[in-house]
Amino acid sequence: MAALGRLSRLLLGTAAPRSPPARGMAAAAHEGGGARMWKTLTFVVALPGVAVCMLNSYLKAQHREHERPEFVPYTHLRIRTKRFPWGDGNKTLFHNPHVNPLPTGYED
Amino acid sequence: MAHQAHSYHMVDPSPWPIFGAAAALLTTSGLTMWFHYNTPYLLIMGLISTALVMLQWWRDIVRESTFQGHHTPTVQKGLRYGMVLFITSEAFFFLGFFWAFFHSSLAPTPELGGQWPPVGITPLNPMDVPLLNTAILLASGVTVTWAHHSIMEANRKQAIQALALTVLLGFYFTALQAMEYYEAPFSIADGVYGSTFFVATGFHGLHVIIGSTFLLVCLLRLIKYHFTPKHHFGFEAAAWYWHFVDVVWLFLYMTIYWWGS
Repeated sequence: MAALGRLSRLLLGTAAPRSPPARGMAAAAHEGGGARMWKTLTFVVALPGVAVCMLNSYLKAQHREHERPEFVPYTHLRIRTKRFPWGDGNKTLFHNPHVNPLPTGYED
Repeated sequence: MAHQAHSYHMVDPSPWPIFGAAAALLTTSGLTMWFHYNTPYLLIMGLISTALVMLQWWRDIVRESTFQGHHTPTVQKGLRYGMVLFITSEAFFFLGFFWAFFHSSLAPTPELGGQWPPVGITPLNPMDVPLLNTAILLASGVTVTWAHHSIMEANRKQAIQALALTVLLGFYFTALQAMEYYEAPFSIADGVYGSTFFVATGFHGLHVIIGSTFLLVCLLRLIKYHFTPKHHFGFEAAAWYWHFVDVVWLFLYMTIYWWGS
C-alpha cells in the first residue's frame, strides 16, 4: 500500500519544477548525463540486440524448406459457424492459400 | 475581463464530446450492420467521424495548452491521474484475454485432443520472429527513454533522433507482426487456440499502432517546438503508454508464444 503511494507521488510529483539532484538513476550517477547513458545503451545494447535477432531470423528462414503439414479434416479446427463479412465468407482476414487450408483442404 | 482565482482549467464549451458519443454509436451499430446485414456504410461513417472527432478534440487540447497556457501544474496533475487510470483500465482489458487463454490452455478439452497446443496446430517458433519482436519493443523502450532525457536536457537534435528511432521501431514491429499473421499456418477460426492467439495479439497490435501514432504526433510536436525541458506531459503520456504496450507484449510472449508452444 505504501508502495502505491510512492508510485503515485513519483508519477504525479514531476508536475512541479524539479530541484536538482532529482530522483532517478541518471541524475544520481552523474549530473546531466542521463541522455548520454540512454544514447549509449541504445547503440551498444538495444540496437545490436535487434540486429542479432534479425540475423537469427534470417538464418532460420534460409534453411527452412517450407514444409507444409498434411491436411487432416479435424472438426475442432477451421470452424465456420458464421460466414465472414468479406469475400466469399469462407476465408479469414489474413488468409494465405499456401499455408491455410479451407475446411475442405488446401486450395492449391 | 476577470482572471480566475484558481489554478484549474474551466474548458470552453465544445462539440467534441457529444459528437464523439454519436461517432461511437455509428461505429458500434455500423459493425452490427456489417456483420449481420452485409452493409459497411454505417461502419465507414462511424470510423470516419471517430477519426475526425479525435483529430479535432486533441488539436483543441494542444491549442489550449501549448498556445493558450491553460495547463498549470494543477491541471497537469489531473491529466497524470487520468492517464494512469486509463492505462490501468487497459491493463484490466488485457487481463481478460489472458484469463481466457489460461482457461482454455491449462485444462485442454477432449475436443482439442486433450493437449495444448491442440492436435493439428503448429505454433510459431518463439525463438524466431517473436523473439525479434521482443528485442524491437525492448529497444524502443530504451530509445524513448533516451528521447525523454534529451527533452529534459534541452538537446533538440538528439531528442528528435531518439523519438524518430522509437517510431521506426514501432512501425517495424507492426510490419513484422502483419507478416507473421499472413504466414501463420493457423488462423483465428482454428478453435480456441486461434481465437485466444489472434484476439490477444490482435488487440496488442492495435495498441502498438495507437502508441506509434501517439509517439508520431509527439515527434511532430517536438519538431514544432511545443515541448519545454520542464513541461512536456503529452510526450510523457505517450511514453507511459508505449511502456505499457511493451509490458503487455512481454506477457504475451512469455505466456502465449513461449509457454503455450
